[in-house]
Amino acid sequence: MSMEKILDKERLSDWIAALAKSGMEVNAPALEDGVWTYKPVDGAVRMDHPNTKQPPKGFAFPQREVFFSFEQIKGEAPRLKQVLPESPQRVVFGVRPCDGRGAVRMDRVFGNQVDDPYYQARRKNVAYVGLACNTAPAPTCFCKSVGGSPVSTDGLDVLLTDLGDKYFAQAVTKTGEALMAAADKLFAKASPADKKSVGKVHADALAQPQRAVKDAEAAPAKLKAAFNSPLWEELARACIGCGICTFLCPTCHCFDINDEVTGSTPMKGSRVRTWDNCQFPDFTMHSSGHNPRENTAARLRQRVCHKFQYFHENFGMLQCTGCGRCVSECPVGIDIVAVVNKVAEHVG
Amino acid sequence: MINIQDIRDTARDMLAKGEVRAVIGWRAGSRGMPAEPAVITAPEQADELVWDPTCYHNLALHLVEDRKFLAHARKTSGAPIAIVAKGCDARAVVVLMQENYFKREDVYIIGVSCEGSGVLAEWKLARHLNGAVPTAAAFAGDEFTFATAAGEKRVPARDVMADRCLECRSPFPKEHNVALGEDKTGRDLAAPFAALARFETRSEGERWEFWQRQFERCIRCFACRSVCPMCYCEECVVDSINIAVAPDTTAEEKANRIRWIERSATRSENITYHMTRAMHLAGRCVDCGECERVCPVNIPLRLLNNKMEREARERFGYEPGASIGGPSLVASFRDDDPGDFIR
Repeated sequence: MSMEKILDKERLSDWIAALAKSGMEVNAPALEDGVWTYKPVDGAVRMDHPNTKQPPKGFAFPQREVFFSFEQIKGEAPRLKQVLPESPQRVVFGVRPCDGRGAVRMDRVFGNQVDDPYYQARRKNVAYVGLACNTAPAPTCFCKSVGGSPVSTDGLDVLLTDLGDKYFAQAVTKTGEALMAAADKLFAKASPADKKSVGKVHADALAQPQRAVKDAEAAPAKLKAAFNSPLWEELARACIGCGICTFLCPTCHCFDINDEVTGSTPMKGSRVRTWDNCQFPDFTMHSSGHNPRENTAARLRQRVCHKFQYFHENFGMLQCTGCGRCVSECPVGIDIVAVVNKVAEHVG
Repeated sequence: MINIQDIRDTARDMLAKGEVRAVIGWRAGSRGMPAEPAVITAPEQADELVWDPTCYHNLALHLVEDRKFLAHARKTSGAPIAIVAKGCDARAVVVLMQENYFKREDVYIIGVSCEGSGVLAEWKLARHLNGAVPTAAAFAGDEFTFATAAGEKRVPARDVMADRCLECRSPFPKEHNVALGEDKTGRDLAAPFAALARFETRSEGERWEFWQRQFERCIRCFACRSVCPMCYCEECVVDSINIAVAPDTTAEEKANRIRWIERSATRSENITYHMTRAMHLAGRCVDCGECERVCPVNIPLRLLNNKMEREARERFGYEPGASIGGPSLVASFRDDDPGDFIR
């Protein structure tokens, strides 16, 4: 039986303040420049965000990070120094269930056969306090059709559900229990009536109609069959090759590694990892100049098949969590739901 | 008032007669609105075309894509390609022709007048709909109408119009083969460069602080570059393929290639990227405002390009996209050009 408690909305800022006071970096969504962004906070927060523009994946997988620094005095051997991140204890409030499920997928990539020490050093210090969706979904939401739900606890440490003037707080992990225990006296016991209310709110949320990837379970096989289809060219006709869809995705994790030289006498610099993007022309550019994904059609196929086929083959789950960012933010209306459905229909 | 049937009839007719090999226009998006760019090649597809306040996209970009596609496939164009063009789109086509990117006869311009109106800024609309989700938009004189689950909503166009349209100097596509809609160029919505003028009331220190913060927020998705019809370089200064690789290029040469701008999305690299782009657009940017629209983190990029545009206008009397045959800003010289900046 997981820990289930009630937190008056007025007490949320006290909880955040208590966590901040204990030395944690507390982050919550804030509207800045018209963009919902996670920002460090120490008390009052807004929790009325639709979803943040960028998912919280950057807390464990930042857009840029240093692997090691190097220095070489002429005639001597180069000296390397590994730079492991010293990540503060962090808690992120207001994570939507689709992004919690995104974290599950990132964890599989960076901690499956090989633990990525840079990712792990940050990840072990991040806790996610989720917020269940209980309003009408955005026109671009499709979490239910890819195995998620607006009230999913996957990947979250605590799930908050808005019950009007209070939150129903459900600890999902030991970390979540500790976060709640850290301000134990702010929480009240959940009564049977509260449990009934939360059940109703969750049921209502689940009943909200959403757009859907039709038969997502069948998508991996359908996409595999459509690899050489001319349809990709048509679907990518409007694609402009920008990186919005993948940079805003909660599960895109491709990266590039470069040496950034900052001085010449002695020669020094650092090796850095940055996000890479399968929509960029140089993504799989070989050093010969050949590029196996040389046009937007091949790149769109890569993005969609990675989400709905390759990841499934590797990890037994769809990579897409249905957050809808790539749909709502695409400058030219490329819609992954429509793409998967059209391809499936085409294959028959 | 433009009748959408006129656009569809024109497209259908030209495709049926084989006068053009494709028509670039807009069709309804998969969620209803916004519209999305469409390249249609068969007469029966003409009925897909739409014309409404969500036809944001500068379709000249897709002319550029088409030309690149042909070049890569080593094909000749054959019949011209048609483009449905707003005032700003047509100006972009003019600049591209001025730069000999393609020839006038290769493009058939179906001009559509914004008729004193313009396109929507979605972020402005949110304030008017009280949470209702719009599924379609339409022009209605001085108003835009929106279909929502709670019925039709009417909003004064100027309240929700994009800044670029409020400040537009030439909403009628002067360069065209056929033009639809009335020329209502002399409209009075906002002064040209109004947003820039407001911004410039800030002190230099405040402006520097502002831009540092904005560029710190850039995630380098390059949507501003990708959506720009003027950013047609085969190799961009920011791409790591910025080296001509031949079979005999050594690993050393590849490793030591010049990287003007690092991959890291840090403030200094981002500033270098955006400054380089602004400079490359001087005298070329037609203020379609697409870079600002598509920016996922709302960096007000129009301010940068407007600044260059106003400088060119005030110092050299230059207006990008005004004439195909005219000299270009950076490739022409007159004896009376101001030289006071040379010290």
